[in-house]
Amino acid sequence: MAAPSDVNEINISSSPHFADNWSTAKIMLAVIIALMPLCVYGIVLYGLSAFITILVSVASCVVFEFLFQKLTKQPVRVGDLSCVVTGLLLALVMPPAIPFWMVILGAFFAIVVAKGFFGGIGANVFNPALTGRAFMFVSFPIAMTTWSTPFADAVSGATPLVSHGTDYMSFLLGNRAGCIGESSVLLILLACLFLIAMRIIDWRLPLSMVATVALCTLIAGGDVLAAVMTGGLLFGAVFMITDYATSPVTPWGRVLFGAGCGLITFLIRNFGGFPEGVMFSILIMNVLVPFLNRIVPRKYGYGKKKAAKEGK
Amino acid sequence: MRKFTFKGGIHPPEMKELSKDKKIECAFPSTKSVCIPVTQGGAPNQSLVNPGDYVVRGQVIARSDAFMSAPVHASVSGTVKKVENRLVTANVEAPCIVIESDGSDKTEYLAPLDPFACTKEEALARVREAGIVGMGGAAFPTHVKLNPPAGKKIDCVLANAAECEPYLTVDYRTMLESADKVVDGLAITVKITGAESGIIVLEDNKLDLVEVLSGAIDKHAMKDKLGVTVCKTKYPQGGEKSLIQAAVGREIPAGGLPADAGCVVDNVGTLVAISEAFREGKPLIDRSFTVSGLSCENPCNLKVPVGTLVGDLIPEVIHLKPGVAKIISGGPMMGFAMINANFPVQKNTSGVLFLTAKEAPAYEENPCIGCGRCLKACPCALTPVLMNRALTAGNIDEAKKFGLMDCVECGSCAWVCPAHVKLVQRFRVGKNIVRAEAAKAKAAAEAAKAAASKGDK
Repeated sequence: MAAPSDVNEINISSSPHFADNWSTAKIMLAVIIALMPLCVYGIVLYGLSAFITILVSVASCVVFEFLFQKLTKQPVRVGDLSCVVTGLLLALVMPPAIPFWMVILGAFFAIVVAKGFFGGIGANVFNPALTGRAFMFVSFPIAMTTWSTPFADAVSGATPLVSHGTDYMSFLLGNRAGCIGESSVLLILLACLFLIAMRIIDWRLPLSMVATVALCTLIAGGDVLAAVMTGGLLFGAVFMITDYATSPVTPWGRVLFGAGCGLITFLIRNFGGFPEGVMFSILIMNVLVPFLNRIVPRKYGYGKKKAAKEGK
Repeated sequence: MRKFTFKGGIHPPEMKELSKDKKIECAFPSTKSVCIPVTQGGAPNQSLVNPGDYVVRGQVIARSDAFMSAPVHASVSGTVKKVENRLVTANVEAPCIVIESDGSDKTEYLAPLDPFACTKEEALARVREAGIVGMGGAAFPTHVKLNPPAGKKIDCVLANAAECEPYLTVDYRTMLESADKVVDGLAITVKITGAESGIIVLEDNKLDLVEVLSGAIDKHAMKDKLGVTVCKTKYPQGGEKSLIQAAVGREIPAGGLPADAGCVVDNVGTLVAISEAFREGKPLIDRSFTVSGLSCENPCNLKVPVGTLVGDLIPEVIHLKPGVAKIISGGPMMGFAMINANFPVQKNTSGVLFLTAKEAPAYEENPCIGCGRCLKACPCALTPVLMNRALTAGNIDEAKKFGLMDCVECGSCAWVCPAHVKLVQRFRVGKNIVRAEAAKAKAAAEAAKAAASKGDK
């Protein structure tokens, strides 16, 4: 009997015996691709300082991830590219002219404190990039609110939410002062469509957040278009609340999470002490994720009456 | 019109083109001997033969008195050599009867029985005596399925022709080559259960069968009750829960059987066996199955006596290429990885795959990133990611809340997982823990009861 085991090395494992060819790294790569146009456009608008900020942020995130995993004797997972995504996200929500050493501190806080200390990829409670930004926001409030005007170097201007500017065309194209990646509504929407089409993000999250802000603004009698298109709302709704580890996994959990982020954003913007509320709204809602995950879909075979009706 | 499909599911590569055009060929083991597991579905059987006994093809060689059991028959005529434990599917050792064929074609079948003239009891006894079990994989004794407890009305028999497992083509070939027997088996099942209709449920990747099957139905006396339904191709269509949802839009209540949804689901192979049991009196002693995989030089569909060791077909019938990384009994989504090929083809063996390392990679498990893809893939609307988190935290009760015991182990969640988390494996372990605890609690309760009654005396 020539059993094949005589000549071959046979693997044993539980089923299923093959898998789809997605991987964590491929998902992260898709997000990086979606962020690229925003990076390039940010550099075009704000010049070399934006480029340096992006570079420093990504590089320090990668280095901190590597060092932390080495020091704590964990398997090094830099290859999953999640630290690159964190680096890009962190840079894109910075003012272009931020001093680079502040960016390094922010990256440290994002990767080591917000992610590493909580158990690494998938286990963190708070969005790493936003935690890093929040740390910088409270530590360096002036540097974090010094905005550059496009095509000029480090000219201070007020944030659009404060200045009541309502030039919708400039919001769409992003030809205005603001964070590196948050300015162009058009590019963010394109990235959003790309990520939804690639099934990387769930449409429920951005839609529920933006819709909630729009609805609240409408009820309050504000300028709905300006509320949606300005500040960090769209960037946060597309890239920040869709972070897997820090958002719910269930469909209705996601809807409520997005709606909660939208509601708190609206409240902070209109009644809070800061002009912009996206960052804190998301960080607050991050805490609620385990509870929102309890809102699970109806399981197959439960709720007989409805099932019986469908059969008829 | 309602779309014939179910919620969730995945689209793995079908890989059926390897063997779908290959006719089912009869084959015989090179050693002229078979190794027949004593129990193949249902409660454990007792061997009725001893080494040295002469047995005839079709003779009962193992049975049990338990209702939930099916007898096993000799698949060749010859001498019993040994009754001993051997490796079988699922990588466990189980008692097997080894018979060496004397090369004769003597048979000892039952007398043919007209299924439409006999009583329900006679028909059920025939299905049981023929040793028929579910040939789709689960090996559930068919006579039990056809005889639901009083009060459960069956109105629909579904012929499971989805064959949603990649690579497998034996059901497709069976329908193409023996459409009349499939239809006859379905009609008999409709008659036995008193159902109003019998539906053959196909996936829309096998549309060429619609004409073949409709033609066979038109020729049958019971054609008014029989039909064909085409569903959207998706895995795991062939799972009972998904099949019933797709074909008739009902759900099996949690913890229940298809009968609780008014349905009986039978694989097309089982239907052929039922037809043969009545028309020819032939017990379930031959099994058709698919041999495939990229490490197999001649992917094919074979028909062999039950108990044929797969290794005894190599290299005479099955030619392998070097580089076999995995041998699977069944399909790639739910089949068992075997440690070698020397395991017998059983009544429920639908395929044997020889996969290369590229086809069946040894994935490294990475941390769950919480993407939620498994929720969309799950055909039972469970929450695999949260079940997994609960189980890794040792919280069985929480895992049960998220649906651990409702999991059908179809593997869709693990298939879509980008981090290759070993979801199904962990769920199996979790389910076993729950079952072991339940058994322990039951035993403790019985012991307490026994002690109490002893105290009374």
